[in-house]
Amino acid sequence: MEVLGALAILFAFCLSVYAFIGSVVGALRHRPYLQKSAERAVLGVFALVTAASAVLVYSLLVSDFRLAYVTAHSNRAMEAQYKIGAWWGGQEGSLLLWSWLLSLYSAVVVWTNRNRHREMMSWVVATLQFTQIFFLTLNVFVEPPFRVLAVGRGVQAMQDGQGLNPLLQYWAMVIHPPMLYLGYVGFIVPFAFAMGSLITRQRGDAWIHTTRRWSLITWGFQSAGIILGAGWAYAVLGWGGYWGWDPVENASLLPWITATAFLHSVMMQEKKGMMKVWNMVLISATFFLCIFGTFLTRSGFVSSVHAFAESSIGFWFLGFLTIGIALTAYLILSRLDYLKSDTHLESVLSRESSFLFNNLLLLASAFAVLWGTLFPRISEMLTGEKITVGAPFFNKVEVPIGLFLMLLTGIGPLIAWRRSSWESLKRAFRWPALALALTMVALAAAGVRHYYAVMSFGLCAFVTTTIAMEFVKGSRAIASRMQINLVRAAFELTHRNTRRYGGYLVHMGIVLMFIGFTGAAFNQDTTREVKVGDRFPIGHYELQVKEVTDGDTGNYSWQRAVIAAFKDGDYLGDLTPERRIYAASRQPTSEVAIRRRLNEDLYINFAGMSETAAGQAIVQVYVNPLVSWIWIGFWVLLFGTLVCLVPGKVKLAYARTGVVGVYAKQSAVQK
Amino acid sequence: MPNSLPFRSSLALAALMSAALLTGSVPLANPHVRALGSLLMCQCGCGASISECNMQNCHSSGPVRAELLKMVEAGMSDEQILATFEREYGKVILRQPPAKGFYLISWIMPFAGLGAGLALLWLILRRYLGPRPAAATASAAAAPDSPALARYRERIEKDMADTDPDSK
Repeated sequence: MEVLGALAILFAFCLSVYAFIGSVVGALRHRPYLQKSAERAVLGVFALVTAASAVLVYSLLVSDFRLAYVTAHSNRAMEAQYKIGAWWGGQEGSLLLWSWLLSLYSAVVVWTNRNRHREMMSWVVATLQFTQIFFLTLNVFVEPPFRVLAVGRGVQAMQDGQGLNPLLQYWAMVIHPPMLYLGYVGFIVPFAFAMGSLITRQRGDAWIHTTRRWSLITWGFQSAGIILGAGWAYAVLGWGGYWGWDPVENASLLPWITATAFLHSVMMQEKKGMMKVWNMVLISATFFLCIFGTFLTRSGFVSSVHAFAESSIGFWFLGFLTIGIALTAYLILSRLDYLKSDTHLESVLSRESSFLFNNLLLLASAFAVLWGTLFPRISEMLTGEKITVGAPFFNKVEVPIGLFLMLLTGIGPLIAWRRSSWESLKRAFRWPALALALTMVALAAAGVRHYYAVMSFGLCAFVTTTIAMEFVKGSRAIASRMQINLVRAAFELTHRNTRRYGGYLVHMGIVLMFIGFTGAAFNQDTTREVKVGDRFPIGHYELQVKEVTDGDTGNYSWQRAVIAAFKDGDYLGDLTPERRIYAASRQPTSEVAIRRRLNEDLYINFAGMSETAAGQAIVQVYVNPLVSWIWIGFWVLLFGTLVCLVPGKVKLAYARTGVVGVYAKQSAVQK
Repeated sequence: MPNSLPFRSSLALAALMSAALLTGSVPLANPHVRALGSLLMCQCGCGASISECNMQNCHSSGPVRAELLKMVEAGMSDEQILATFEREYGKVILRQPPAKGFYLISWIMPFAGLGAGLALLWLILRRYLGPRPAAATASAAAAPDSPALARYRERIEKDMADTDPDSK
């Protein structure tokens, strides 16, 4: 089987090289048959990489311990879903997953565009295959997943494997990496169309119209991947938090931020024909940050608990990044004449300028994350001394930027395109500003003295009011015109312009997540060494360790504390945090117990039994207010993204204001 | 299957579970130690603070927590404690770069980046929103001359020249 898998990747590599050369030569020499042949080769690459992936998954499922990868990342006692998860649990397998997803996306692009965009498709295919060749090179020559454990001339099979990292044996971890990779890899598609558009010197926005849904779906996958990662950290790592600003976490956030900026600024290009160069830069930055993130995770360039083992693979990534960025920069600079704006800004008080500020803040946020992630290495190179840039740094820098972004999220939708008057702004912002002021005053009156938290809650109220006003005003108009009730009118309103109102729902999701993030300002925690039967307080709660039991599942041994929780004297039930020792790796993990409620989570980690004081359990307890709103906000965000993907009922044609018309009017006035 | 642990596994489990003690969770019962621990970075590679590290085989958080407890009980001030750790472990033990000397740049750069972006935005806005001479815009508007437009312009200029006494 392993020979089949290895041959499949090798042939996929050869076919990918052919597809690249075929599409480039076909486009340069105008050979339609060669171009078509190259596109079919892309489908062949997908079939071959799928076959190789199937062989690896099959080997994992049947515990074929002749393979080094299977031995290193699985064991017999693991459940089937974790054996499948072992596909992306190690360097070689996860690189194969990258290749497979890329080949899948490429095949879908080729198939769905078989009769469209013929003039640029060859270059789209060339860009996709250039990247595919890079990843298949890693699969075939650098990190092959089908290495066998050879002893002398024979092939040795191990009795059992070392097992998957126990921290990864959690349901969210089975979904989190593929989601993130679907996002990472997905941004190659809009990037490839952008390159195709540049190479063929297209003046129009065809690449944006074609890839709008791709970008949204990919962004949705990235968002899901990031939140699943946060959910996993919260439930598995046992420190009571969900985001630690680790370099690998930051690596996943960077392309998400630039992609968010891109999703906003493409609207400027679609509606006003502006920011064409900027959109090219943003989509390129997003794609290269995806590759850069993969580089950070795999090269050992920065130290991270999430990183794969250090390897020489980083040089390959640096080479790819250097070539890719240089080619892209050359293409953009040499095609500036084709990227001129159709219209210009007319007023600072306009939707256009709010988009500019939004992009500026998002980019500033991405820069701060990148800078903080790389600074320890920069500092080490320049001063020779290692330093740490941890969560306190990022919180201090990112929180103000995040609050400004939240302010713009509320302001943007209420400002008209082209220009707004102060009078109309005053009318539009009357109620949101009142909501902001009332919330802040109420919180201050209630004794809240955490200034950022007060501002954050105030801004959340501000944005919520603007969104609610947009829905209510639009629904009322439709309800009176169509003689239907407000709820139906709201559905009708959303269906008419899914992009706009889906976008508002996404904003609402972000608001809910901000509420959850802000709750962290009021976290409480304690660590206690308590005898079985003793009670201890934290916040409104009292906890009592009732008993400690232990057991064995074959895959792991466990020790479990049964802890009764009381709130204001009322018995709430038992929570059962657990400590596990995995048989194969002898590595311990925490299975925390969380009582989730909308107002706060009661989070308990059982750290084990004390040896100095017999019969005493060491228990870490956290009371985390509002955390559940992060996960609720994510579902709202995902729902909003799906709404954006639904075709709108009313086809909207955006009239672009010509520069000539505006200036002609100005001249007439001056006369 | 509760309470069915084989004897050897029980021994191994007990040994590994006791690592919780060795890694020093207990000093964290002291809130002052927890507060100071949250300012120090664990060196086991977990990416968490000394207070938050939850790795059972961590070589770093346990001894640091014990040292912290000792220093707190000895009545040392927070500044003295942090300075002692910085001397002992280097700046890498601090969770954020010091805001002095070379390391000040780490704090300045994100806001300098934002400032540079704002300056660029101001330039863009000034360029597009500044006053435009009507004549310049009119000629700019007429820039993409077609042959027909060129004929009209020529005729208008000729007519204007005929009516302008200064041009004669």
